[in-house]
Amino acid sequence: MVLGVGNPDRGDDGVGPAVLDRLRGRLPAGAEGQVSGGDFLNLINDWAEVEGLVVVDAAAALGTPGRVHRIDATSGDMPLPRQPASSHAFGLPEAIALARSLGQAPGQIVVLAVEGEDFATGAGLSPMVAAAVDGIAVKALDEVLALLGLEASADA
Amino acid sequence: MATKTIKVEYLARVEGEGALDLSIANGEVTNAQLRIFEPPRFFEAFLRGRSYAEVPDIVARICGICPIAYQMGAVHAAENAFGIKVEGQLRALRRLIYCGEWIESHGLHVVMLHAPDFLGFDDAIQMASQHGEVVKKALALKKAGNEILRVLGGREIHPVSVRPGGFHRVPTKAELAPLAEQLKAVRDTAVELTHWVAGFDFPDLEQDYEFVALRHEDEYPFNEGRLVSNKGIDIDIAEFDSSFEERHMAHSTALHAAIKARGAYLVGPMARYALNFDKLPPTVQALAQEVGLGPVCRNPFKSIIVRSLEILFAVDEALRLIAAYERPAEAFVPVKPRAGVGYGCTEAPRGICWHRYEFDAEGTVMDARIIPPTSQNQPSIEADLKSVASGMVEEADEAIKYRCEQTIRNYDPCISCSAHFLNLNIKRS
Repeated sequence: MVLGVGNPDRGDDGVGPAVLDRLRGRLPAGAEGQVSGGDFLNLINDWAEVEGLVVVDAAAALGTPGRVHRIDATSGDMPLPRQPASSHAFGLPEAIALARSLGQAPGQIVVLAVEGEDFATGAGLSPMVAAAVDGIAVKALDEVLALLGLEASADA
Repeated sequence: MATKTIKVEYLARVEGEGALDLSIANGEVTNAQLRIFEPPRFFEAFLRGRSYAEVPDIVARICGICPIAYQMGAVHAAENAFGIKVEGQLRALRRLIYCGEWIESHGLHVVMLHAPDFLGFDDAIQMASQHGEVVKKALALKKAGNEILRVLGGREIHPVSVRPGGFHRVPTKAELAPLAEQLKAVRDTAVELTHWVAGFDFPDLEQDYEFVALRHEDEYPFNEGRLVSNKGIDIDIAEFDSSFEERHMAHSTALHAAIKARGAYLVGPMARYALNFDKLPPTVQALAQEVGLGPVCRNPFKSIIVRSLEILFAVDEALRLIAAYERPAEAFVPVKPRAGVGYGCTEAPRGICWHRYEFDAEGTVMDARIIPPTSQNQPSIEADLKSVASGMVEEADEAIKYRCEQTIRNYDPCISCSAHFLNLNIKRS
């Protein structure tokens, strides 16, 4: 499963859904795409049926908008701070930890964290992130193909 | 003289930012302050100058868990000001979407946030390794609630279909059918959950609360009713200011609400339950009896049982509403603004959420006041904390901290809403 996380109306937070949009019709048999606004609790029970999960999500600005950080979250916790700042929404690390605790975490989990630049309300993707979307879609597709044991895509 | 300070610097498993300061002098708790330091959010100020039509979507942003409560308060207030009454299936749909909010909000709190306190786990992730089936079922329950919001409101979080006069769009009968199937599938979970939580060990604490809730002549309340209490209040929601007042407290960015004559009061599931037990369907009343809960519960730790019973109520009520649903010809009744003041008060998952708006002739907001449940409960939370800590002053600070955090979570406090939480500091002397 490819999960595009984010809100398209919050600037670069929309990169996950934008990548999923690019992948429409391009995912191989056996793979499916899903967009999430970030309420992972509602996805965890579905993960019981998922063998491999590729998550595309926006990450904090570190100076290179559009740069992708690949995190293999298959074993152990994600190397992200777990801050219980809000009890109302579990973040991705918490969701993976909970799924693992329930014994229904996908066998393989890869997170493609995309550095954002601007997360303004009502804004679209910033130019550098928008320009990176096609390349990120190829990376995500390659992750899917690798999980399925298939060859990398030709346009990689 | 020995002074002791116990501090909880940041409370987990609550929404928002707050802390707790406890002072213990000569074996007595002299002070218990819930310090809310989340910055004020100024919603009421930036509603001024906006159209009545924009209000539901602006106030929805106050809370990601209970946006319906804010939307309902806003639309009822506008309709009250403009002399409009929404009835029939549109009214029923409003109850249905509220059922969704109660199910997802209570489901989240009961299992993911509160139950770990009673079982000695740090969080739901830890708890899931030993109580996996309960957690999985609770996730399905929460999802069923969110699904009602999605189908009726257009999306799960911050729904966009609610408007003064009704909805921007109403669902077809066929669109509601899958919701009913999902709700039927989780109904047993609500019953099991109630039995599960009723089996927890509860600290002994009975408080003489003044319960405040809506009371409707025919229904367990969501959107309508008079404001009543168990100590004599029985007023129209427009008369809120005659009995209640808000007070600035130096230690909180959220106003404290109080009954003018008597002080602290309690809103939320325990208040609704105590004041409206007779309006619950026989199935819910019977389950309460089965798990040993009488028609009034004064032990705040047992609020988790009441929340579970309210989940069952909301599931059954949603099923009843869906079964009786016929799509209305119009999604909303016409709204013609006029100058005036309007009031709305609805039962958010955490208790009454009171709104007052002043509109000009075009329906522009001239003034807005919103009193969310958590700010109303702050004085009661502090009173509970004092009682709880007083009974354990000789115990280790860690034990006091743990029990105090649990005490605060009894309220499912939404600090972000109220500031518009938690460090625990215990001072011993």
